[in-house]
Formats: sequence, C-alpha cells, structure tokens
Amino acid sequence: MLTNRILVLCAWAGPATVVVAMIGWLIAGVLPVPLGSESSVEAVVSFYSHDTRVIAGLVISTIGVSLVFPLIAVIAVYMVRMEGRTPILAFLQLITGAATGVCLLLPLLLMTTIAFRPDRSPELTMTLNDIAWLLFITPIAPFMIQNVAIGVAILNDKRQTLPRWVGYVNFWIAFSFIPDPLAFFFHSGPFAWRGIFIFWLALTTYSVFLVVMGLTLRKAIRESADPDVSAVAAAAA
Amino acid sequence: MTHPQVRVDPDLPEFLWDSDGADAAPPPARRPAKARDGHIPGEAGLWIFILGDMTLFAAILIAFLWERRSDPVVFEQSAHQLIQPIGAVNTLVLLLSSYLVVCAIFAHRGGRYPQARRLVAGAVSCAAVFAGLKAFEYYSAISSGHTPSGHMQGSGTFFTFYFVLTGLHLLHVIVGTALLLVWQAMLKRRRSWTGSQKVAEGIASYWHMVDLLWVAIFTLVYLVSAE
Repeated sequence: MLTNRILVLCAWAGPATVVVAMIGWLIAGVLPVPLGSESSVEAVVSFYSHDTRVIAGLVISTIGVSLVFPLIAVIAVYMVRMEGRTPILAFLQLITGAATGVCLLLPLLLMTTIAFRPDRSPELTMTLNDIAWLLFITPIAPFMIQNVAIGVAILNDKRQTLPRWVGYVNFWIAFSFIPDPLAFFFHSGPFAWRGIFIFWLALTTYSVFLVVMGLTLRKAIRESADPDVSAVAAAAA
Repeated sequence: MTHPQVRVDPDLPEFLWDSDGADAAPPPARRPAKARDGHIPGEAGLWIFILGDMTLFAAILIAFLWERRSDPVVFEQSAHQLIQPIGAVNTLVLLLSSYLVVCAIFAHRGGRYPQARRLVAGAVSCAAVFAGLKAFEYYSAISSGHTPSGHMQGSGTFFTFYFVLTGLHLLHVIVGTALLLVWQAMLKRRRSWTGSQKVAEGIASYWHMVDLLWVAIFTLVYLVSAE
C-alpha cells in the first residue's frame, strides 16, 4: 500500500518539523536564548557575525519548517473525508496552512540574509533583525483560522475520523496565539517578542499542534488501512 | 455534476463522489463510547480546552503577582486608580448570568423552551452590561493617560497586565455571548435535550469558566493589589 506509506510519512512530518527546526535553531543560536527587542546593537551584530554557523543553522531550520507542508496535506485528506461532498473547511485549511508555512519561512530567510553580509552598518542589521523577528512572531491570523477550521471540521464529523479532543486542542492552540501582536507594543517584559507569553508560548503550542496532529493522524491512517487490507484479501479469495 | 444520482465516477477524485457512498465503510461506531461511571458536563475533550485556557490565564496572573513583588507600592497606587465599584458590579453581573445559565439548563432539560429562551436572553443581556461597563472603564483609564502600550516599568507594568488580562477576558465574554446565541437558536427550533445536551452543557461550562476567570482577575488585580 504505497498510498498509505506516503500518508504515514506525511503524518510523521509533523513531529519531524519540531525536531529538525529545533536542531537548526540550536545550531544557529536562535535557541536556547533568542535575540530580544531589548538586545543591544552589539549583541545583535555579534549574533550575526558568526555567519557560517548562523547560516547553516538557519538553512536547516528552513528545511525543518517546510516539513509542515506534508502534514497540512495529510490533514486536508482527512478533512475531506470528514466533510464529504463540499470540503470547504479542508480547502480553507490548505490555504491558511500554506500561508502559515510561508510566514514562517520568510523571516528565517531574512535572518539568513542578515548573516550573509554581517559587516554592513549596524543600524541596518538592527532594522533587518527587527523586521525578521516581528514577521516571525506576529502574523497569527492565518494559523488561527487554520486551527479553527480543523477544530470545527473534527467536531462536526459524525464518523469521528479523528478524536474529538483534537478539535478542542486546536481551539486552545488558536487561543494561545492571541497575545502575539502585543510584540509590536512592548520592548521588554513578558509581552515583548522574546517574552514568555509570546515566543515561548507560541513555540510550545505550535509544537503541540505539530506533534498531536501528526500522531493522531498516523493512528487514523493505521485504523483506516486495516479494513482495506482485509477487503483486498477477501476479494483475492 | 449533472447526474447527482451517479455516485461512483472513477474519473473524479475520491472526495467528489464517495461522500456517503463507498467511503461510508467505517461505521459510526468505530470509536465506541466508553462506558462511563460519572457524567462529564459537555464532553471530556471540552475540558482540555477549558483547563488549557484557565492554565494560560493562571500563568499570566502569576506573572502579574511576580511583577507586583518588585514594586508593591506603585501597584497599590495603580490599583486604586481602577474604579473598584464597576469591577464589583461586573462580578455580580457575571455571577447572575451564571445563575441564569444554570436555570436555563434545567428549563431546557425539562422541555420548558420559552422559559429557557428567556433565561438565556437574560444571560446575554448580563454579558452586554458587562461589556458596556468594561468599555466605560477602559475609556476612563485611557483618558487619564494609561494606555495598553505603556512601558514595562512602574504603573505601566500594572496597566499592561490590566489591559492584557481584561482584554483577553473580554474576548472570552464575546465568544461566550456568540455561543449563548447559538444555544438560543437551538431553543428557538425546540431542539430536544437528548439531541443537544453535549452542546448546551458545553456552552454552559464555557460560560461558567468566563465567570470564574473574572472572579480571579477581579480578586487579584482590583482587590489584592490595592491592599
């Protein structure tokens, strides 16, 4: 069953996104302590001056973040099964999921570009770093719409293709992103972009999303594969 | 689709033809409901959302108390600038709305639809009063120079937390009101209790959470900080 193998692979891409992106960020130095809005010009310039390591780490993280696309595809396949004839929420999930992926990729590419010419004027590096981080943290609406679309589809699904708690988890994840635009208003403290209720909360709940969706879909794929196998066996006999 | 009666068209992608035909193979009872000893209001999954929500609010309140430790005098002065009577009235308004929601659950369960509709409408008006008083409170705070985008020092920290906590809570009130209106529409169509228990109980649980969160915010931001 090649199709099933591809589906399982796409589901595993969810948890893999977390692992590969984290490895990339650890190499680049984005983790464990990222640059903050209160970081000094020297700190920002010195972060990007380790150009080879930073670029290598960020390139790995762009690959990691892109692994979300297979997960979005397999979510869409299962949402189509939930919705039947008019899979509007599945399409909504595809569009917003793709937009979220791009919104995550662009700032990482921008950070890579900053490290590309680290000897430029420090003000420029500072400005580019601000743009990269604020682009990274604040465009939450596509992802929140994606979460709500997934949640509504799961709760409306009479066949319970995915367990209902996964729908509620999606609503909670959407809620956890609401504080993020506060990053525009604060330069320090828990609501600045590096703050606990912004970067750290979003990182945690986005990881929860990737792992929960990946693992529950893998289970659903395995369960729906069994009847097919028995049907094929019955047909052969 | 000129021939909707033709279910299976192998030229079309799977999802365009087998909405309720071939793919209906997994029967609805694939995840059999576990035999339960106790009754969970709404459904178990809902409580992941409610407890997750409350955890996030608790984390912000803990951060608020943490910041307060470093500057209790400024926090006390700032808390005194809030209009405490409005906060107290809003607490009573939300407690009343929770009571109305409980009565509406009983009325719905007993099949007394007109009564249940009046009770839910009462809860929605309470929410409107709450939002109106909140808007007045924001207006007076902003006109005396406290904005949500203040700096994180001194009274700025206090008002940042004040606006973030009450703003997030107000968002919950708005979502809760929308859910109450959904319930109201179900009552208008006289949906039976057996068919709507999960949804009605879920909405009521959500509303009680909104109430509980406000009690915590009122206690810590308005009262404890003013001590």
